[in-house]
Amino acid sequence: MPHVVKSTIIDAPTPVVWNVLRDFNGFDRWHPAIATSAIERAQPSDKIGCVRRVRLKDGSELRELLLALSDLEQTFSYCLLDTPIPLFNYVGHVRLLPVTDGDRTFWHWESRFTTRPAEAEALTRMVAGDIFQAGFEAIRNYLKEAA
Amino acid sequence: MARVYVSTVVNARNDRVWARVRDFNGMPNWHPAIAESRIEGGEAPDKVGCIRDFRLRNGDRIREKLLGLSDFDMFCTYSILESPMGVSNYVATLRLTPVTDGEKTFIEWTAEFDCEQEREAELVENIGGNVFQGGFDALKRVFGG
Repeated sequence: MPHVVKSTIIDAPTPVVWNVLRDFNGFDRWHPAIATSAIERAQPSDKIGCVRRVRLKDGSELRELLLALSDLEQTFSYCLLDTPIPLFNYVGHVRLLPVTDGDRTFWHWESRFTTRPAEAEALTRMVAGDIFQAGFEAIRNYLKEAA
Repeated sequence: MARVYVSTVVNARNDRVWARVRDFNGMPNWHPAIAESRIEGGEAPDKVGCIRDFRLRNGDRIREKLLGLSDFDMFCTYSILESPMGVSNYVATLRLTPVTDGEKTFIEWTAEFDCEQEREAELVENIGGNVFQGGFDALKRVFGG
């Protein structure tokens, strides 16, 4: 089972980063891969069990379910329900921890999934690079522009 | 119960940082506040349950017991058995986590303890600001950060 783990340091206080990341319906505002986002059945985006429908820049659509969200721990978990990409049993976890030395943020993003063996390597690279690492860079820019 | 949480980032891979801090008897090698250390009973410093008896540069003597050590998760947990600090039920953990973006290491040092209410703020400040951050500053001088 592929396991993707990426982490970075964001030069902003943890509450500032969390304020952006905790909006399960807000990834289209900062993530370069995501064109539009909507929560099904008009539920709030911090309701556990809500489903977001996102359209990627390439036009494909996927649905993701919010499994857990903690403002105390500054974590959330989600899984993929429907996707045109062969990512099966996909569960992702995001976790922020304060770097007290300098008032910065440690951001940990990981996921596990199953897929066809022939595609495991390419999909691992895609998730690690196009989703996670690209997300890190995008948040850095997003916060810089917001400042 | 009082809590201390401090964290930092150093510019080196976590295995290099871990090699420097995993030795439960090795604090004098990297922490500027520690003058000397020995393990009681001639036990190995990575034997869980071993006790280190060390002396600070200010002369204070502290005995601490190794409660947990993991080379896989890169953390070390220990408790204070004896100290002049006036704390009880003191348990601390030093943990390293890799930062994949740029080969850095995220270091967390946490402690929980009981003490007299009026001394809590001073103890939290001293343990977090002086002891733990002092260790971080020394690691940053070695590895950059």
